Amino acid sequence: MSSPTKASGAAGSAPAPDDRRAVACYVYGIVPEDVEISADAVGVGDPPGRIQLVRHGEVAALVSDVNVDRPLGRAQDLVAHELLLDEAAAEVPVLPLRFGAVLTTPEAVVEELLAPHHDQFAAALKEIDGRAQFVLKARYAERPVLTEVLNESQEARRLRDRIRSLPEDATRNERIRLGEVITQVIAAKREADTQAVVDRFGDCTVAATVREPSHERDAAHIAFLVENERQADFEEAIEELRDDWGDRVEVRMLGPMAPYDFVVT
Amino acid sequence: MTVAVPPAGGGGLPGRSSGSGLADVIDTILDKGLVIDAYVRVSLVGIEVLTIDARVVVASVDTYLRFAEAVNRLDLTQTQDTLPEFIGGITQGVAHNKSKGVAKGVLEAAGEKLQDLMSGYAEEPAPRSRRRREGS
Repeated sequence: MSSPTKASGAAGSAPAPDDRRAVACYVYGIVPEDVEISADAVGVGDPPGRIQLVRHGEVAALVSDVNVDRPLGRAQDLVAHELLLDEAAAEVPVLPLRFGAVLTTPEAVVEELLAPHHDQFAAALKEIDGRAQFVLKARYAERPVLTEVLNESQEARRLRDRIRSLPEDATRNERIRLGEVITQVIAAKREADTQAVVDRFGDCTVAATVREPSHERDAAHIAFLVENERQADFEEAIEELRDDWGDRVEVRMLGPMAPYDFVVT
Repeated sequence: MTVAVPPAGGGGLPGRSSGSGLADVIDTILDKGLVIDAYVRVSLVGIEVLTIDARVVVASVDTYLRFAEAVNRLDLTQTQDTLPEFIGGITQGVAHNKSKGVAKGVLEAAGEKLQDLMSGYAEEPAPRSRRRREGS
Protein backbone atom coordinates (compact mmCIF):
# COMPACT_ATOMS: atom_id res chain seq x y z
CA MET A 1 0.00 0.00 0.00
CA SER A 2 1.24 3.38 -0.90
CA SER A 3 0.82 5.35 2.29
CA PRO A 4 2.86 4.11 5.26
CA THR A 5 1.24 5.23 8.49
CA LYS A 6 4.29 5.24 10.69
CA ALA A 7 2.56 7.45 13.19
CA SER A 8 -0.34 5.15 13.75
CA GLY A 9 0.28 2.91 16.70
CA ALA A 10 -2.99 1.04 16.61
CA ALA A 11 -2.98 -2.67 16.34
CA GLY A 12 -4.49 -3.88 13.09
CA SER A 13 -4.89 -1.26 10.41
CA ALA A 14 -8.09 -0.15 8.80
CA PRO A 15 -8.62 -1.04 5.17
CA ALA A 16 -6.20 1.14 3.25
CA PRO A 17 -7.80 3.84 1.16
CA ASP A 18 -7.19 3.98 -2.55
CA ASP A 19 -5.10 6.72 -4.02
CA ARG A 20 -8.00 9.11 -4.16
CA ARG A 21 -8.06 11.24 -1.05
CA ALA A 22 -11.47 10.21 0.22
CA VAL A 23 -10.40 9.56 3.80
CA ALA A 24 -9.18 11.99 6.43
CA CYS A 25 -8.31 11.82 10.10
CA TYR A 26 -10.93 12.88 12.66
CA VAL A 27 -9.43 13.88 16.02
CA TYR A 28 -11.39 13.40 19.26
CA GLY A 29 -8.96 14.28 21.99
CA ILE A 30 -5.48 14.04 23.47
CA VAL A 31 -4.47 11.29 25.92
CA PRO A 32 -1.21 9.99 27.43
CA GLU A 33 0.74 7.79 24.99
CA ASP A 34 0.55 4.67 27.16
CA VAL A 35 -3.19 4.12 26.90
CA GLU A 36 -4.71 1.17 25.10
CA ILE A 37 -7.71 1.29 22.83
CA SER A 38 -10.25 -1.46 23.06
CA ALA A 39 -10.72 -3.18 19.72
CA ASP A 40 -14.42 -2.40 19.51
CA ALA A 41 -14.16 1.35 20.13
CA VAL A 42 -15.81 3.32 17.32
CA GLY A 43 -16.47 6.96 16.59
CA VAL A 44 -18.14 9.22 14.04
CA GLY A 45 -19.18 8.30 10.52
CA ASP A 46 -21.47 5.77 8.93
CA PRO A 47 -20.38 3.06 9.36
CA PRO A 48 -18.61 4.34 12.50
CA GLY A 49 -14.83 4.56 12.15
CA ARG A 50 -12.59 2.41 14.35
CA ILE A 51 -10.69 4.37 16.97
CA GLN A 52 -6.91 4.42 16.67
CA LEU A 53 -4.07 6.07 18.53
CA VAL A 54 -1.56 8.42 16.94
CA ARG A 55 1.38 8.64 19.31
CA HIS A 56 4.08 11.25 19.68
CA GLY A 57 6.40 11.41 22.68
CA GLU A 58 4.38 11.30 25.88
CA VAL A 59 1.06 12.16 24.25
CA ALA A 60 -1.29 10.61 21.72
CA ALA A 61 -4.37 11.59 19.76
CA LEU A 62 -7.58 9.54 19.62
CA VAL A 63 -8.50 9.47 15.93
CA SER A 64 -10.54 7.58 13.39
CA ASP A 65 -10.75 7.55 9.62
CA VAL A 66 -13.55 9.69 8.32
CA ASN A 67 -14.97 9.84 4.83
CA VAL A 68 -14.60 13.39 3.53
CA ASP A 69 -17.35 12.95 0.96
CA ARG A 70 -20.03 12.91 3.60
CA PRO A 71 -20.96 15.77 5.91
CA LEU A 72 -20.33 15.33 9.61
CA GLY A 73 -22.75 16.33 12.30
CA ARG A 74 -25.63 13.89 12.40
CA ALA A 75 -26.98 13.27 15.87
CA GLN A 76 -25.16 9.93 15.92
CA ASP A 77 -21.86 11.68 15.16
CA LEU A 78 -22.31 14.13 18.02
CA VAL A 79 -23.22 11.39 20.46
CA ALA A 80 -20.36 9.16 19.28
CA HIS A 81 -17.85 11.97 19.82
CA GLU A 82 -18.96 12.65 23.39
CA LEU A 83 -19.48 9.00 24.28
CA LEU A 84 -15.97 8.05 23.21
CA LEU A 85 -14.39 10.91 25.16
CA ASP A 86 -16.46 10.31 28.27
CA GLU A 87 -15.70 6.60 28.28
CA ALA A 88 -12.02 7.34 27.79
CA ALA A 89 -12.15 9.97 30.54
CA ALA A 90 -13.47 7.38 32.96
CA GLU A 91 -10.15 5.52 32.62
CA VAL A 92 -7.45 8.03 31.70
CA PRO A 93 -6.94 11.81 31.54
CA VAL A 94 -8.34 13.23 28.28
CA LEU A 95 -8.12 16.68 26.70
CA PRO A 96 -11.33 16.82 24.66
CA LEU A 97 -11.41 18.59 21.31
CA ARG A 98 -14.49 20.42 20.18
CA PHE A 99 -16.59 18.50 17.67
CA GLY A 100 -15.42 18.66 14.08
CA ALA A 101 -11.62 18.60 14.15
CA VAL A 102 -10.35 16.89 11.00
CA LEU A 103 -6.81 16.72 9.62
CA THR A 104 -5.60 15.17 6.41
CA THR A 105 -3.56 12.24 7.71
CA PRO A 106 -2.16 10.69 10.90
CA GLU A 107 1.18 12.24 9.93
CA ALA A 108 -0.43 15.66 9.90
CA VAL A 109 -1.83 15.00 13.38
CA VAL A 110 1.71 14.45 14.61
CA GLU A 111 3.40 17.24 12.71
CA GLU A 112 0.78 19.93 13.14
CA LEU A 113 -0.99 19.10 16.38
CA LEU A 114 1.01 16.83 18.69
CA ALA A 115 4.61 17.88 18.01
CA PRO A 116 4.17 21.66 18.24
CA HIS A 117 2.15 21.43 21.47
CA HIS A 118 3.63 18.32 23.01
CA ASP A 119 4.78 19.96 26.24
CA GLN A 120 1.56 21.90 26.80
CA PHE A 121 -0.54 18.80 26.21
CA ALA A 122 1.64 16.68 28.50
CA ALA A 123 1.44 19.28 31.27
CA ALA A 124 -2.34 19.68 30.89
CA LEU A 125 -2.83 15.90 31.02
CA LYS A 126 -0.91 15.74 34.28
CA GLU A 127 -3.03 18.52 35.67
CA ILE A 128 -6.37 16.85 34.94
CA ASP A 129 -5.22 13.37 35.94
CA GLY A 130 -7.54 12.06 38.63
CA ARG A 131 -10.19 14.69 37.98
CA ALA A 132 -13.47 14.64 36.08
CA GLN A 133 -16.10 17.14 35.02
CA PHE A 134 -19.71 17.23 36.13
CA VAL A 135 -22.40 19.57 34.84
CA LEU A 136 -25.18 20.76 37.11
CA LYS A 137 -28.39 21.77 35.35
CA ALA A 138 -30.93 23.29 37.68
CA ARG A 139 -34.31 24.59 36.51
CA TYR A 140 -37.02 26.43 38.42
CA ALA A 141 -40.33 24.63 38.51
CA GLU A 142 -42.78 26.89 36.72
CA ARG A 143 -45.55 27.24 39.26
CA PRO A 144 -43.41 27.91 42.35
CA VAL A 145 -41.16 30.40 40.60
CA LEU A 146 -44.06 32.35 39.10
CA THR A 147 -45.71 32.48 42.51
CA GLU A 148 -42.47 33.82 43.95
CA VAL A 149 -42.23 36.44 41.24
CA LEU A 150 -45.79 37.64 41.84
CA ASN A 151 -45.17 37.83 45.56
CA GLU A 152 -41.98 39.84 45.08
CA SER A 153 -42.90 42.18 42.24
CA GLN A 154 -45.59 44.77 42.65
CA GLU A 155 -45.39 45.60 38.94
CA ALA A 156 -46.02 41.95 38.03
CA ARG A 157 -49.11 41.86 40.25
CA ARG A 158 -50.40 45.12 38.81
CA LEU A 159 -49.95 43.88 35.24
CA ARG A 160 -51.59 40.58 36.04
CA ASP A 161 -54.64 42.32 37.48
CA ARG A 162 -54.94 44.61 34.47
CA ILE A 163 -54.63 41.68 32.05
CA ARG A 164 -57.36 39.81 33.88
CA SER A 165 -59.73 42.76 33.79
CA LEU A 166 -59.50 43.38 30.04
CA PRO A 167 -60.09 41.31 26.88
CA GLU A 168 -57.02 39.43 25.70
CA ASP A 169 -56.54 41.35 22.46
CA ALA A 170 -56.47 44.64 24.38
CA THR A 171 -53.56 43.66 26.60
CA ARG A 172 -50.82 42.43 24.30
CA ASN A 173 -48.42 45.13 25.48
CA GLU A 174 -49.20 44.41 29.11
CA ARG A 175 -48.66 40.70 28.59
CA ILE A 176 -45.32 41.32 26.93
CA ARG A 177 -44.32 43.63 29.75
CA LEU A 178 -45.43 41.09 32.35
CA GLY A 179 -43.30 38.42 30.69
CA GLU A 180 -40.37 40.80 30.57
CA VAL A 181 -40.69 41.56 34.28
CA ILE A 182 -40.86 37.84 35.04
CA THR A 183 -37.78 37.22 32.90
CA GLN A 184 -35.87 39.94 34.73
CA VAL A 185 -36.85 38.73 38.18
CA ILE A 186 -35.92 35.16 37.24
CA ALA A 187 -32.58 36.37 35.84
CA ALA A 188 -31.82 38.02 39.19
CA LYS A 189 -32.79 34.83 41.03
CA ARG A 190 -30.61 32.81 38.64
CA GLU A 191 -27.62 35.02 39.30
CA ALA A 192 -28.03 34.75 43.06
CA ASP A 193 -28.71 31.01 43.04
CA THR A 194 -25.82 30.31 40.66
CA GLN A 195 -23.40 32.21 42.87
CA ALA A 196 -24.75 30.46 45.95
CA VAL A 197 -24.21 27.05 44.33
CA VAL A 198 -20.67 27.92 43.23
CA ASP A 199 -19.84 29.07 46.76
CA ARG A 200 -21.50 26.08 48.34
CA PHE A 201 -19.50 23.62 46.22
CA GLY A 202 -16.22 25.44 46.60
CA ASP A 203 -14.94 23.04 49.24
CA CYS A 204 -15.51 19.80 47.33
CA THR A 205 -14.57 20.94 43.81
CA VAL A 206 -11.36 22.04 42.13
CA ALA A 207 -12.92 24.63 39.83
CA ALA A 208 -16.25 25.82 38.46
CA THR A 209 -17.29 27.39 35.17
CA VAL A 210 -20.66 29.10 34.88
CA ARG A 211 -22.32 28.28 31.57
CA GLU A 212 -24.85 30.38 29.71
CA PRO A 213 -28.43 29.45 30.61
CA SER A 214 -30.02 27.08 28.13
CA HIS A 215 -33.62 27.71 29.17
CA GLU A 216 -35.59 30.70 30.43
CA ARG A 217 -36.28 28.98 33.73
CA ASP A 218 -32.70 27.88 34.35
CA ALA A 219 -31.68 28.37 37.97
CA ALA A 220 -28.05 27.37 37.43
CA HIS A 221 -25.95 25.82 34.65
CA ILE A 222 -22.49 25.13 35.98
CA ALA A 223 -19.59 22.83 35.10
CA PHE A 224 -17.50 21.56 38.01
CA LEU A 225 -14.08 19.94 38.03
CA VAL A 226 -13.97 17.32 40.77
CA GLU A 227 -11.17 15.18 42.19
CA ASN A 228 -12.06 11.51 41.86
CA GLU A 229 -11.38 11.12 45.57
CA ARG A 230 -13.92 13.81 46.37
CA GLN A 231 -16.66 12.50 44.09
CA ALA A 232 -18.63 10.99 46.98
CA ASP A 233 -18.53 14.31 48.86
CA PHE A 234 -19.62 16.10 45.73
CA GLU A 235 -22.56 13.76 45.18
CA GLU A 236 -23.56 14.16 48.79
CA ALA A 237 -23.53 17.93 48.38
CA ILE A 238 -25.78 17.56 45.33
CA GLU A 239 -28.27 15.55 47.37
CA GLU A 240 -28.24 18.20 50.09
CA LEU A 241 -28.89 20.85 47.46
CA ARG A 242 -31.84 18.84 46.13
CA ASP A 243 -33.24 18.52 49.64
CA ASP A 244 -32.86 22.24 50.32
CA TRP A 245 -34.48 23.29 47.07
CA GLY A 246 -37.24 20.70 47.21
CA ASP A 247 -39.96 21.18 44.62
CA ARG A 248 -38.78 24.68 43.81
CA VAL A 249 -35.93 23.60 41.52
CA GLU A 250 -35.35 20.48 39.47
CA VAL A 251 -31.69 19.46 39.64
CA ARG A 252 -29.98 17.29 37.04
CA MET A 253 -26.35 16.21 37.14
CA LEU A 254 -24.41 15.07 34.07
CA GLY A 255 -21.12 13.26 34.35
CA PRO A 256 -18.51 12.18 35.01
CA MET A 257 -17.36 13.43 31.63
CA ALA A 258 -14.20 14.71 29.96
CA PRO A 259 -13.22 18.20 31.16
CA TYR A 260 -14.69 20.10 28.19
CA ASP A 261 -15.18 23.30 30.15
CA PHE A 262 -11.72 23.31 31.70
CA VAL A 263 -9.44 23.00 28.71
CA VAL A 264 -8.45 26.32 27.24
CA THR A 265 -7.10 27.02 23.81
CA MET B 1 -29.39 12.47 1.70
CA THR B 2 -31.36 12.95 4.87
CA VAL B 3 -30.37 14.00 8.32
CA ALA B 4 -32.00 12.14 11.15
CA VAL B 5 -32.32 13.99 14.41
CA PRO B 6 -33.78 11.79 17.11
CA PRO B 7 -36.05 13.34 19.72
CA ALA B 8 -34.65 14.87 22.88
CA GLY B 9 -34.55 13.17 26.22
CA GLY B 10 -32.07 10.44 25.50
CA GLY B 11 -34.67 7.81 24.80
CA GLY B 12 -33.70 7.43 21.18
CA LEU B 13 -29.98 7.68 21.69
CA PRO B 14 -28.17 4.42 22.25
CA GLY B 15 -25.69 4.26 25.05
CA ARG B 16 -26.50 7.53 26.78
CA SER B 17 -26.92 7.50 30.50
CA SER B 18 -30.37 8.41 31.66
CA GLY B 19 -31.10 12.10 31.92
CA SER B 20 -28.66 13.08 29.21
CA GLY B 21 -30.07 13.91 25.81
CA LEU B 22 -28.95 15.29 22.50
CA ALA B 23 -29.45 18.84 23.71
CA ASP B 24 -26.98 18.20 26.53
CA VAL B 25 -24.47 16.74 24.09
CA ILE B 26 -24.81 19.75 21.81
CA ASP B 27 -24.30 22.13 24.73
CA THR B 28 -21.07 20.41 25.53
CA ILE B 29 -19.23 19.35 22.43
CA LEU B 30 -20.17 22.12 20.01
CA ASP B 31 -19.42 24.85 22.49
CA LYS B 32 -16.61 23.51 24.68
CA GLY B 33 -13.32 21.73 24.28
CA LEU B 34 -10.08 22.52 22.54
CA VAL B 35 -10.42 24.17 19.16
CA ILE B 36 -8.09 22.69 16.63
CA ASP B 37 -8.08 25.59 14.21
CA ALA B 38 -6.31 27.67 16.79
CA TYR B 39 -3.38 25.32 16.38
CA VAL B 40 -3.62 24.04 12.90
CA ARG B 41 -4.05 26.00 9.75
CA VAL B 42 -2.16 23.98 7.20
CA SER B 43 -3.85 20.74 6.38
CA LEU B 44 -7.40 21.00 7.58
CA VAL B 45 -9.49 19.07 5.17
CA GLY B 46 -12.32 20.80 3.41
CA ILE B 47 -14.82 18.44 4.94
CA GLU B 48 -18.29 19.73 5.46
CA VAL B 49 -19.05 19.95 9.15
CA LEU B 50 -22.64 20.60 10.04
CA THR B 51 -23.16 22.82 13.00
CA ILE B 52 -26.16 23.53 15.08
CA ASP B 53 -26.80 26.68 16.98
CA ALA B 54 -29.13 25.20 19.51
CA ARG B 55 -28.92 28.01 22.02
CA VAL B 56 -32.38 28.81 23.25
CA VAL B 57 -33.22 32.46 22.95
CA VAL B 58 -33.68 33.31 26.57
CA ALA B 59 -35.39 36.66 26.23
CA SER B 60 -37.88 37.03 23.40
CA VAL B 61 -41.44 38.21 22.94
CA ASP B 62 -42.50 34.58 22.61
CA THR B 63 -40.94 33.83 25.96
CA TYR B 64 -42.64 36.84 27.52
CA LEU B 65 -46.06 35.88 26.22
CA ARG B 66 -45.57 32.31 27.41
CA PHE B 67 -44.76 33.54 30.91
CA ALA B 68 -47.80 35.82 30.92
CA GLU B 69 -50.00 32.94 29.84
CA ALA B 70 -48.55 30.77 32.60
CA VAL B 71 -49.35 33.45 35.15
CA ASN B 72 -52.94 33.46 33.97
CA ARG B 73 -53.14 29.71 34.45
CA LEU B 74 -51.62 30.16 37.88
CA ASP B 75 -54.39 32.57 38.84
CA LEU B 76 -57.11 30.15 37.87
CA THR B 77 -55.63 27.37 39.94
CA GLN B 78 -55.08 29.62 42.93
CA THR B 79 -58.70 30.63 43.02
CA GLN B 80 -59.73 26.98 43.31
CA ASP B 81 -57.55 25.84 46.12
CA THR B 82 -60.02 23.23 47.28
CA LEU B 83 -58.30 20.76 44.94
CA PRO B 84 -54.68 21.76 45.32
CA GLU B 85 -53.05 18.42 44.72
CA PHE B 86 -55.16 17.52 41.76
CA ILE B 87 -54.62 20.89 40.15
CA GLY B 88 -50.97 20.92 41.11
CA GLY B 89 -50.58 17.67 39.25
CA ILE B 90 -52.17 19.13 36.14
CA THR B 91 -49.98 22.20 36.31
CA GLN B 92 -46.87 20.10 36.69
CA GLY B 93 -47.94 18.11 33.69
CA VAL B 94 -48.41 21.24 31.64
CA ALA B 95 -45.05 22.61 32.69
CA HIS B 96 -43.37 19.35 31.86
CA ASN B 97 -44.94 19.08 28.46
CA LYS B 98 -44.05 22.63 27.78
CA SER B 99 -40.38 22.19 28.56
CA LYS B 100 -40.32 19.09 26.41
CA GLY B 101 -41.98 21.08 23.68
CA VAL B 102 -39.29 23.71 23.89
CA ALA B 103 -36.52 21.16 23.62
CA LYS B 104 -38.23 19.44 20.73
CA GLY B 105 -38.70 22.73 18.97
CA VAL B 106 -35.03 23.48 19.28
CA LEU B 107 -34.08 20.12 17.89
CA GLU B 108 -36.51 20.40 15.03
CA ALA B 109 -35.07 23.78 14.23
CA ALA B 110 -31.63 22.24 14.47
CA GLY B 111 -32.71 19.59 12.02
CA GLU B 112 -33.86 22.24 9.58
CA LYS B 113 -30.58 24.04 10.03
CA LEU B 114 -28.75 20.83 9.29
CA GLN B 115 -30.65 20.36 6.08
CA ASP B 116 -30.09 23.97 5.10
CA LEU B 117 -26.41 23.41 5.58
CA MET B 118 -26.32 20.22 3.60
CA SER B 119 -25.33 22.09 0.48
CA GLY B 120 -22.64 24.58 -0.16
CA TYR B 121 -21.13 25.05 3.26
CA ALA B 122 -17.58 23.84 3.52
CA GLU B 123 -15.78 25.68 6.24
CA GLU B 124 -15.03 24.25 9.61
CA PRO B 125 -17.27 25.92 12.16
CA ALA B 126 -15.86 28.18 14.76
CA PRO B 127 -17.67 31.48 14.80
CA ARG B 128 -18.19 31.28 18.51
CA SER B 129 -14.64 30.27 19.22
CA ARG B 130 -13.27 33.04 17.07
CA ARG B 131 -15.38 35.55 18.89
CA ARG B 132 -14.22 34.15 22.17
CA ARG B 133 -10.57 34.33 21.24
CA GLU B 134 -10.88 37.89 20.12
CA GLY B 135 -12.57 38.74 23.33
CA SER B 136 -10.12 37.01 25.59
